[in-house]
Amino acid sequence: MARRNTYKEDEVLETPFDVHHLLRALVYVKKYSGPMIAAFLISALGAIAGLFSPMIAKEALDVAVPQGDKTMLIKLAVLLVGTFVISIIFTTIRARIMTRVGQNIIYDIRKDLFEHLQKLPFQYYDDRPHGKILVRVVNYVNSVSDMLSNGLINVVLESLNLIFIVIFMFLVDVKLSIVVLCGVPVLAVFLLWIKAKQRVAWQQVSNKNSNLNAYLQENIVGAKVTQIFAREDENAEIFDDLSLRVRDSWMRAVKYSNLVWPGIDNISVIIRACIFVFGLLVFSAGGTTVGTIIAISSYASRFWQPIMNLGNIFNNFINNIAYLERIFETIDEPVAVGDSEDAVEMPEIKGEVAFENVVFGYEEGQTVLNNVSFTVKPGESVALVGPTGAGKSTIVSLISRFYNLNSGRITIDGQDISKVTLKSLRSQMGIMLQDSFIFSGTIADNIRYGKLDATREEIVEAAKVVCAHEFISGMKDGYDTEVKERGSLLSQGQKQLISFARTLLSNPRILVLDEATSSIDVQTEKSLQKGLNAMLEGRTSFIIAHRLSTIVNCDKIMYIDDNNILECGTHDELMAKKGHYYRLYTSQRDCL
Amino acid sequence: MKQSKIKWLFENMKGYRCLYVLGIIGAITYNVMQLIVPVVTQKIIDLFMTGENASANLVNKRDVFFLLIAAMIILTLIRTMIVYATSMLFEYTSQGALYKIRNYLFDKVQRQDQKFYQTYRTGDLMTRLTGDLDAVRHMIAWVIRTIIESFTLVLATFFYFVYMDVKLALCIIVIAPGIFVVIVLFKNKVGPMHRLLREKLSLLNTISQENISGNRVVKAFAREDYEIEKFDECSREFSDTNMKTSFVWLKYFPFMETFADLLPVVLMVVGGFFLIDGSLTMGEYAAFSGLIWAVANPMRNLGSIMNEFQRFSAASTKIMEIYYSEPEIVTAPDAIDRPERFEGNVEFKNVSFSYDDGIMPVLNNISFSIKAGETVAIMGETGCGKTSLVHLIPRFFEPVEGEVLIDGIDTRKLKLKQLRSNIGLATQEVLLYSDTIDGNIAYGNYKMSEADVKKYAKYSAAAEFISKMPEGYETVVGERGVGLSGGQKQRISLARALAIKPAILILDDTTSAVDMETEKEIQQSLNNLDFSCTKIIIAQRISTTKNADKIIVLSHGSIIEMGTHKELLAKRGYYYEVAKLQLGEEVL
Repeated sequence: MARRNTYKEDEVLETPFDVHHLLRALVYVKKYSGPMIAAFLISALGAIAGLFSPMIAKEALDVAVPQGDKTMLIKLAVLLVGTFVISIIFTTIRARIMTRVGQNIIYDIRKDLFEHLQKLPFQYYDDRPHGKILVRVVNYVNSVSDMLSNGLINVVLESLNLIFIVIFMFLVDVKLSIVVLCGVPVLAVFLLWIKAKQRVAWQQVSNKNSNLNAYLQENIVGAKVTQIFAREDENAEIFDDLSLRVRDSWMRAVKYSNLVWPGIDNISVIIRACIFVFGLLVFSAGGTTVGTIIAISSYASRFWQPIMNLGNIFNNFINNIAYLERIFETIDEPVAVGDSEDAVEMPEIKGEVAFENVVFGYEEGQTVLNNVSFTVKPGESVALVGPTGAGKSTIVSLISRFYNLNSGRITIDGQDISKVTLKSLRSQMGIMLQDSFIFSGTIADNIRYGKLDATREEIVEAAKVVCAHEFISGMKDGYDTEVKERGSLLSQGQKQLISFARTLLSNPRILVLDEATSSIDVQTEKSLQKGLNAMLEGRTSFIIAHRLSTIVNCDKIMYIDDNNILECGTHDELMAKKGHYYRLYTSQRDCL
Repeated sequence: MKQSKIKWLFENMKGYRCLYVLGIIGAITYNVMQLIVPVVTQKIIDLFMTGENASANLVNKRDVFFLLIAAMIILTLIRTMIVYATSMLFEYTSQGALYKIRNYLFDKVQRQDQKFYQTYRTGDLMTRLTGDLDAVRHMIAWVIRTIIESFTLVLATFFYFVYMDVKLALCIIVIAPGIFVVIVLFKNKVGPMHRLLREKLSLLNTISQENISGNRVVKAFAREDYEIEKFDECSREFSDTNMKTSFVWLKYFPFMETFADLLPVVLMVVGGFFLIDGSLTMGEYAAFSGLIWAVANPMRNLGSIMNEFQRFSAASTKIMEIYYSEPEIVTAPDAIDRPERFEGNVEFKNVSFSYDDGIMPVLNNISFSIKAGETVAIMGETGCGKTSLVHLIPRFFEPVEGEVLIDGIDTRKLKLKQLRSNIGLATQEVLLYSDTIDGNIAYGNYKMSEADVKKYAKYSAAAEFISKMPEGYETVVGERGVGLSGGQKQRISLARALAIKPAILILDDTTSAVDMETEKEIQQSLNNLDFSCTKIIIAQRISTTKNADKIIVLSHGSIIEMGTHKELLAKRGYYYEVAKLQLGEEVL
């Protein structure tokens, strides 16, 4: 496994961008090909209407004015207004269609990204600062929005525009048109040169931004720690440094990006100068009229306008591709723990859990569990004891298949859990984690998370079982009290009680309590135990606890250390054995 | 308000103002220069194409012809160089201001009271420091610049038009007021949309942020579909609002565009009439026609300028809210300077405390005193106010009544930084950083030597498991310490608190997830620290509390029992009950 990423390091881009990615982005566009084609046609018509205006102007200058025909001039003006109105109507309709398409594309990408993120295992979230994931979901997707909607459309439109202008130009004068086109190869060389520089530079911008975001988010979340250690000054310094890097990388990137316009501008003026030189000196013998030269000169500037716009879009593309490749990288992140192709629904769990020669490590070369085998009968309660870090939490997280095994297998009711859908498996498990996460919302919402269609009565009932009802009712709005982010107004013990209620409400077939009551005072725990025992009746449960008083009554106690189960049996059996458990138990008594 | 936003922006550009003005001058210069090519073009047309002696001039004055062509190219070259320099100036100054504001905001945010963090969600704060700040950058780098450019272009062109032909110029400019009317109407409609859009963005950030942070819970409950649905709704709303905002623009766009397009039409008709009447030369007409975009385009731009301005307005309101927010808990102006290490006497005098929005008083008339070097245990049921009590010591919150004294001085009279540097607090909820273990332990004193880091790891019984890790102290732990077990995280957090050698050490249920044997080990090392400190320990276990010099039992925010282990057992009250539960009747 690659080393965990922190705010200090840039993320390595696993797959560098290629045309493939761009084609892939087109998949999102394809869905809206209907409206987009409509938009093209409308825009093309609008553009054609727009192209008539120089012709009308030429007519006015070359015919109406020399003839002194004011009526004709007014007629031409009406015609001109007509072309403008048509052009405006078309442009507006197109913009409406494209806004809708653009927003839908963004929505689609964001949806895909988020849905994929939901499939990614813990590992993914554990390996990088959360701010770096967040910036992709929100900021990066927002950034590419314009590129994939209007950007893409504009490329096609401007190109079309360009083609029409070339056609019209050729209709007016072939030779001078060729002069205009001579600028294109020069431009191509210029853009190719700059592209290489720009791309790397914008990738840096995205990296530095991502680092800054990571640090920012961690510090907002950890503000209390900052303050208790009075680290504000040092943190400000670190942030300053990250911020400076963002600025510098940006400046390096725009150094190139800003060259694009002036470059195109220069080429365009040189071309116009050429038109005069060639038109007046070289081709004048061929009868090139003044009107023609002025018209071509006007077309030439109209020819370069879309190219300048394309240059702009090109700039936009280059810098957004840095974001797009990050988005696709996330969407492409392999789902390490996912449903296998032939995954079946897990039938209702009875509760027999078996480990068969399970070998597991979080990282390559690391062994946390070595050849672990055991069987738990339906309805049994199993306690896992042993020193911290021995692998107790690992065992219970494998039952929910949060990780894949290195070898061996785990079955529930004889069904290999790697062959069932994750949803059908996990929705039947109730897992209370060490870290009780509280979502912002009401207390009732947080409990309801365990069963989305739970009635108020069910919620209150669950809260009563875990002895949370009393303190919840004592709060300002009772169950409707808004808990702020991460439940900051609740004590740790209260948070544990709420997440306990949440777990109970989900009515799990297998219950896993991982230090679920560590922050709850002993008396509350005792009354909680009563309700819990009734609940546990008939369900398989796994309990990790350091207070041995909570586990002595379990059907089975497993002592975990040295990557394996060293002892297994009831309290009395293990005490009689006078082994590890005995020593642990007696030393606990001695500690007291 | 708008005035003050611009003023705020201007204040933050201190140090960059001169360069910014230089950029503006550059923008004016190149926009004026932009008009030069058409002037040269007109000269060429007049002299060599339409003038009286056009054909003769082409033969006789060929040097002038080439001079003009050369001027056209060279002037463009110079102009584009100025454009480039100006662009870089705008980027530099906007990045500079952004850098300054961003750092200021970060510092502001991290110094806010705990109350602040209960009000603002992480996702919302993130939005302010990223998306909203980008709107500010855009304002400096693009909006203001475009406004300047547009006005320069219009004014310069207009003056040139007037210079060439007053009547024609006036005929053309008569269109302008119409555009302004449309702009004002548009502004009133689009402003609220941008404020709404910004809220939706903030919500999107919050929902995503919570989902990412809570990914374990989501998976444990197999709630992926629910989360997707929740996110989906938010994402849809954001997209819809974005769309609606654009549609507001599109409602006004046709009118703006019509006005802008009328300019060349007026030129053609009126200019054509003048041509026919002979009051205008062909070259002059060509100049008008070649420059008409210089009036029309800026007018077209006004719409998007207004749009972006409203975006800035919505974003800057949010930023300024943080920018000008002051924490209530700050060092008092008359604070006593105590650079030396505190002794560690702690006294609560009739302290009452409640949270702003809570009805229940959290602490009620609490009084006790701890002498330097003593160990005090605090006990009580879940939610009785233990954590709130210890949070008053580093002034995370302030008592509603009474005072908290350290070494006989009211904490409100101490310098905040000095006060907090003397307190080592290991919080209940362990927050580690995505950094190495070494970096996490040395968080409070990042210059600490490796030997010291190891020493404190040893004190907190963490040395053994750390050395077993693949990269030892250099192992990177994930954000919030993921990858470590609860007990391991707690021990690192303990080492971190010890490492600043605090005069007052507060352990808020720090060993709840540690097994008993390890806990015993920790207890022993806490008794044998190589520095003296007052220890305030919140604990549930009798094993932790029994050796304390004083045990305080809290219930519903009041002290119900206080004394030593022996005294409290004799009292046969709450403490006795707890002890009985844990130790069993026979031991007592």
